[in-house]
Amino acid sequence: MSTIWLVAKREFRVRALSKANVITSLIMLAIIVGGAFVGRVFLGGGEAVTEVVHVDRAAVSELMPYLEASAAQREAPLEFVAVDTPAEPALAEGVVAIIGGSAGQPEVFLEDERGDIVEITAAAASAYVLDREISGLGGDPAEVGQALAQAVPTVTLLGDADELDPGSFFAGAMVIIALLFILIQSASVIMMGVVEEKVSRVVEILLATVRPSELLGGKILGVGLFALTQAVTLVAPMIFAAWYLDILKYVEVGIGPLLANFAVWFLLGFALYAILFGGLAALVSRQEDLGSVTTPMMLLMMAPLYLGIYLVPSSPDGTVTKVLTQIPFFAPFMVPMRTAFGAIAGWEIALAVVLCLATIPVAVWVAGRVYVGAVLNTGGSMNLGEALRRA
Amino acid sequence: MSVLDVDGLTKSFGQVRALDGVSFQVPAGGIFGFVGSNGAGKTTTMRIILGVLRPDAGEVRWDGRPVDLDVRRRIGYMPEERGLYPRMKVGEQLVYLARLHGLSPEAARTAMEHWTDVLGVAHRREDHVEKLSLGNQQRVQLASALVHDPELLVLDEPFSGLDPVAVDVMSGVLRERAQQGVPVIFSSHQLELVERLCDRVGIISGGRMVADGTIDELRATETVQWLLVMEPGAVWKGADAVGAADLGGGRWRVEAKDASSAQAILASAMKDGAVAEFSQVRPSLTELYRDVVTASDVVTASKEDA
Repeated sequence: MSTIWLVAKREFRVRALSKANVITSLIMLAIIVGGAFVGRVFLGGGEAVTEVVHVDRAAVSELMPYLEASAAQREAPLEFVAVDTPAEPALAEGVVAIIGGSAGQPEVFLEDERGDIVEITAAAASAYVLDREISGLGGDPAEVGQALAQAVPTVTLLGDADELDPGSFFAGAMVIIALLFILIQSASVIMMGVVEEKVSRVVEILLATVRPSELLGGKILGVGLFALTQAVTLVAPMIFAAWYLDILKYVEVGIGPLLANFAVWFLLGFALYAILFGGLAALVSRQEDLGSVTTPMMLLMMAPLYLGIYLVPSSPDGTVTKVLTQIPFFAPFMVPMRTAFGAIAGWEIALAVVLCLATIPVAVWVAGRVYVGAVLNTGGSMNLGEALRRA
Repeated sequence: MSVLDVDGLTKSFGQVRALDGVSFQVPAGGIFGFVGSNGAGKTTTMRIILGVLRPDAGEVRWDGRPVDLDVRRRIGYMPEERGLYPRMKVGEQLVYLARLHGLSPEAARTAMEHWTDVLGVAHRREDHVEKLSLGNQQRVQLASALVHDPELLVLDEPFSGLDPVAVDVMSGVLRERAQQGVPVIFSSHQLELVERLCDRVGIISGGRMVADGTIDELRATETVQWLLVMEPGAVWKGADAVGAADLGGGRWRVEAKDASSAQAILASAMKDGAVAEFSQVRPSLTELYRDVVTASDVVTASKEDA
């Protein structure tokens, strides 16, 4: 075990402290965070500036609480200030509207057409009138208000929701695309590491003292930890950017479940893909030939990604989707997407996790056999069958 | 005393039989020179000793027990194909390899400093291996074989690509290790070096050990050869009759089965003139090697024809 740890530590150190990694990480950080700052400027400043509305103190002071309640309900950043308005209404600097007239029949003076202010005032006035009439009839306005609040229909959609929910789609796609990038990157790092040891022949002195399983295991562990730190350095700024740009409020699924999804499927996906392809990389003798192993890996990852992006939104709980969810190499992409749409049952997730966990030993076995059989072969590429026979 | 016992190793790669019952022993303190032409099976044997390859049959024992991972950790190995992480610092790399062999961090550091000093690469500790010259990489490679104070050294072509000074340094290190009781096996094509350095020599050809012993023992298996020099002007007319080879300049080389036939040869020459010199030729390892390998090739060839 300590040997695996030694190998893992070296892998981690070499990758994490390499100049290329430090620079790339800083650039990514700058792009994401910088992009968020720039994006906010273009998105018109997420935090709206509070506007001031003058309210004629003498005429409509009773309306003030209704205006404030009405504005708060609509999340309109308006501040109502009671003033003594002159006979000739004129907007002072920084004031967008003046409300005069009477509480029952307010008059709104505007510079530009502002539907929101008119609406808020209308709602406030009718609420005021309603309360006044209820009181006049001897009723309790608070009770009526409560009764009104409960008088809303419960909505249940029948049939499949054909409408694409952009928030869920965005959230799910973000998770699986980030997953794809990190899996491809870390699996490539492992594969390059395996081939590098083969090309530099250092593998021979290593294998004279370390078991092949310890060498491959340590490499996968070290690179996995490295990928995890990279994921954190990538995802943390992304979450910050999403929060800063106020995108989170469009996402109906909580950020917590999404992150949990990401963490679980990163670990499972990493275990499946990295182990399998780490072993297969030993078939190759030169960095240039690595494509023969990376291409199938990319295909094996891109297919479920595209299905996740195109199939799940149109059929979040169709039969095909359900079946694909249970296929280990598809699960890391299908489950997070379906979770984002809230269209997956708990047992489906549990089953998918169990199936993936059950596949990992198979991947370990295949990878280990191929690795042992092929890692010392230096004469050109080896085919799979030959490697398995030699192991 | 620890003995490395290589016993009946057989290994085939597909149709090619790389090793065919290779056996030899290396006692503690002995330096065993392993010679043979390219593809004869030296590297395969060494790889099997290190457990990097598995034999089809046969066994390698250390102190009477099969060599397992625990024993291998205490072997210093220098593979034929040199291998170090190119983009790792010399010092860091040696410490890492020592740690893999089970040394504590402090012991690993001390050993790294010691061996980089001894092998003259101390000033390159902070450099990446790929920046070093080939000769210096070779020194680092040797350091990586020595850094964990191994109980057995297995070195595949440790002298190839070294300058004369480095050859001396490395020879010195091997002798010193052997004196400490560490059995040393190394292969080389530089036969004079093997002759100078080794207590025992094994000659491998076509996957079989064709000779194994001290150099004197190997000489004893050869028919003794004599050099005969006539005084200037004298001609040995009877040379052809005894199968002597004319070396020119009044010099002949002749084989004699035993002492009496040698005397008979001398007598025949003395009839033709004055003999200036008649002496036994001690064949060099190079000559022994050539004879042994050629002989075994003939055997192999005739077997294949049959």
